Amino acid sequence: MNDPQGRSRNGPGYSRRDFLRGTGIAAAASTLTAVPALEPAAEAAQDATGAVAIGPGSTKIRLNVNGKDMETTIEPRVTLLDALRNYLDVTGCKRVCDRGSCGACTVMLDGKPVYSCSMLALEARGKKIRTAESLISEDGRLDAVPASFVQHDAQQCGFCTPGFVVALRAALDKNSKATPADVEVALSGNICRCGTYEQMRHAIASLCGQGKEGG
Amino acid sequence: MAIAWPKERRLIGKDTPRVDGTEKATGRAKYSFDINLPGLLHARILRSPHAHAKIKSLDTGAAEKMPGVGAIHVIKAAGSEVFYAGDEIVALAADTEEHMHDAIRAIKVEYEVLDHLVKEEDALKATDKRTVSGGKQQKSNVQPGGEETRGKVEEAFAKADAVVEGDYGVATVCHQCLESHGLVAHWDKDDHLKVWCSTQATVLTAQVLADHFKVDANNVQCITHYMGGGFGSKFGPDIQGIVAAELAKKAGKPVKLMLDREEEITAGGNRPSAYGKVKIAGNRDGKITAFEIDCYGTPGYGGGSTVNLNFLPYPYDTAGILPSIQVTGAIPNIKRKHSVVRLNTGGARAMRAPNHPQSCMLSEPAVDDLAAKLGLDPLQLRLKNLPLNIPGADERDPTSWNALRNTIFTQEIDIAVRLSDWKNKWHPPGKGPGNGVLKHGIGMALHTWGGSAAGPNECKVIISRSGSVTAETSTQDLGTGQRTVTCIVTAEILGLELTDINLKIGESQLGISGGSGGSTTCPSQAPATLRAATAARDDLFAKVAPKLKVDKADLAIEKGKVVDTKSGKSWAWKEFCAKLGSEVARGQGEWSLAIAIQTDEKTKKPLNPGVSNVQVGGVQVAEVVVDTETGMVQCTNVVAVQDCGMVINKLCCESQVAGGVIMGVNYALFEDRIMDRHTGRQVNADMEFYKLGGIEDMPKIKVHMHDMPERGVIGIGEPPTISTAAAISNAIFNAIGVRVPDTPFTPDKVLAALSKKGGNA
Repeated sequence: MNDPQGRSRNGPGYSRRDFLRGTGIAAAASTLTAVPALEPAAEAAQDATGAVAIGPGSTKIRLNVNGKDMETTIEPRVTLLDALRNYLDVTGCKRVCDRGSCGACTVMLDGKPVYSCSMLALEARGKKIRTAESLISEDGRLDAVPASFVQHDAQQCGFCTPGFVVALRAALDKNSKATPADVEVALSGNICRCGTYEQMRHAIASLCGQGKEGG
Repeated sequence: MAIAWPKERRLIGKDTPRVDGTEKATGRAKYSFDINLPGLLHARILRSPHAHAKIKSLDTGAAEKMPGVGAIHVIKAAGSEVFYAGDEIVALAADTEEHMHDAIRAIKVEYEVLDHLVKEEDALKATDKRTVSGGKQQKSNVQPGGEETRGKVEEAFAKADAVVEGDYGVATVCHQCLESHGLVAHWDKDDHLKVWCSTQATVLTAQVLADHFKVDANNVQCITHYMGGGFGSKFGPDIQGIVAAELAKKAGKPVKLMLDREEEITAGGNRPSAYGKVKIAGNRDGKITAFEIDCYGTPGYGGGSTVNLNFLPYPYDTAGILPSIQVTGAIPNIKRKHSVVRLNTGGARAMRAPNHPQSCMLSEPAVDDLAAKLGLDPLQLRLKNLPLNIPGADERDPTSWNALRNTIFTQEIDIAVRLSDWKNKWHPPGKGPGNGVLKHGIGMALHTWGGSAAGPNECKVIISRSGSVTAETSTQDLGTGQRTVTCIVTAEILGLELTDINLKIGESQLGISGGSGGSTTCPSQAPATLRAATAARDDLFAKVAPKLKVDKADLAIEKGKVVDTKSGKSWAWKEFCAKLGSEVARGQGEWSLAIAIQTDEKTKKPLNPGVSNVQVGGVQVAEVVVDTETGMVQCTNVVAVQDCGMVINKLCCESQVAGGVIMGVNYALFEDRIMDRHTGRQVNADMEFYKLGGIEDMPKIKVHMHDMPERGVIGIGEPPTISTAAAISNAIFNAIGVRVPDTPFTPDKVLAALSKKGGNA
């Protein structure tokens, strides 16, 4: 190899994503103190200080997704987003930028909106994960947020929409008296390419109890 | 038999929430990216890190032995040349994405790095250098892209009351489809391929794959139930789709290959740039007398013009998409020249109204600059130079663009002026009511687009004895609301509700359909559905009438029932359909450009007037606030007045127009593909530094649909994104009295323009 391929993410170099994956083991270990129940994992080994190393091989993991405990086996470097999508077939959260800038992968973690592409699945153990799929009940009752998106046509291709509705649901759960301006701030970490923001504003206005503005 | 839209319309033209809204908003809709199959392998392409190089050697030996690797497919062998950073070399599939990344890193490639050019200005300086593909006779990356002259340009400039010269331009922007390009490929048997592809063309995708693998077209199925954005960049399987199917065949397992964000931006297409030197002349009465342009743009490593040269100044001299649209010849003296600047960058693809935003940006700002020199409100200049209705065109077809273009533009300008309060808000450039460093400005721009039927598109409607109705079509819903349109039309004709229609859509084997490009889907699909539903209704009447001992000609549909207009007797829908007994009623409908433009041989009048049509206008007014200290531009308001013939679904139509405006605000203020001349790579192939606006960055948008049901259906997807940036450019000029020449109108460019003027607005 005599080329600067290392600067390409395709090459053998060191990328931000590698870094995230590489630190998986340490990060996972550091979260363990907060997680009382450690999943049985063949690779887990406890040293004299009580710190637990997981990996680099695959390990069994249990995640609570939309009220259900789900189990799979993943390498510690797998992000929460990839665990949900690739291993648990929960695909409402979308992979778009994969770098924490577009919000399409937004899920709620114990009620707080997070970019699931920017944390490891291991870090989500013991927490309640909610995706857009949780915003409709099994008997078809629809949450007010997606219902408002449908009514006001605040979606076109719909690929960003699950991220937006999760972020909006979390914002309203945090502050039920949020104004439209508050909600816009809460959605500023999400990007839509089709350009549904104007219709989203209509949806937000109705969710904030102010009705659609004239015009 | 001639076909027509119902005169009384219960559902068409009303606000209808899209039928798949809940599926999408709750994350249950399965996009191609979401398809998981047992045994699925994940695939990725190793791409060139160099903008121009020769592959000296390629060694996949170590990668083959890596854990989980299922198949490797070489795209460019040793000895091949690569022409941009992102060019495909070899693809690999493995059992997990983690294994896939590891194995990709184990592939060894040696390159002989060659000279590259990635910036237009560099290529224009080095015209003796060719760094892209081509024969020996091609010495340069810069190639002629057309040249034409009409009238006496120099004489007209000499005689004119005012002449203005200026530089204008629009940067290359990336499609940034949120669902990246790619597909999931699964071979059921040796010669049966099923793909879930993120595409704007299910039928074409299946066809290209069948041709590539030399299998019967009936054995290839392309499914696109949901699609996460294409904007013109997703026709056919593309190289990554073919590669995924190759890997799946080799591995004997299904393969998913979706581009990552960097690949999506560098290899998934872009809208080519356009920059030009313009000279425009006019008289005190506001008439433009001459227009001269020398412009260039880059289509990337491939080729092709980046403007519609014969449309400039746009849309005053616009010819039209179809030959039937007559050239206005509105501007008597014209000189136009275009150069194609090929670069070692990703190839351009069609993007939402290809070449029109560029053409608009090279014309409408110049019109405002001329108005300023003449001391006129640019509104007056626009009205004075609008293309005229073609005399006699209304006799042949009063709904045609030839008969209506001046009328439509004039009406729309009038509406836009009222909705934007133009008469109170417009002020001479740079002379607005001052508020310290914040300057207000308002600007207008016009556009036009074809949006005819293309197809052929086919729809089938089946009515069962239980009264259930199924509509089937292979066309795809990209988020344009085509699903909902098909349901609305079927339900309208059969007197039913949308929830009564079972729709099968987005599967290539469900009939023929064209790709969704050029805003042609609705004008192809809605009339096909009208015909299919009408034929199914007639078949139902024909089969049931004898059993009820009534004349089928007396039967009519009313909401939820069938009525015998002779006796006044009526049957509820289900009751009537039950009389089918062991039969089903079916209807098939087709629509295409060829059918749409059929004319009577003698009268030359259209055979199916008012079903679908071609060419729309559109007017947008933008308001901005410019901070003359920081150079920040905020777009505060946009009024968009848009026609598209007959509106089928007002809610989704308005939503698409607002979306077009937002895409326009994005490329006006934020978007720029930034190339690094040293490494030859794009420095912002991501979503952090490739800027797209969020909800807080967007203006208030007022959409007015200029509904003209008598024209029939015309496409709406593309036109509303054309003139937004030019309107914003004009608004900035109106605010600060100096032109910021090219997009994105970022603070540095605003401050540079202000300093050129002397620092003050």
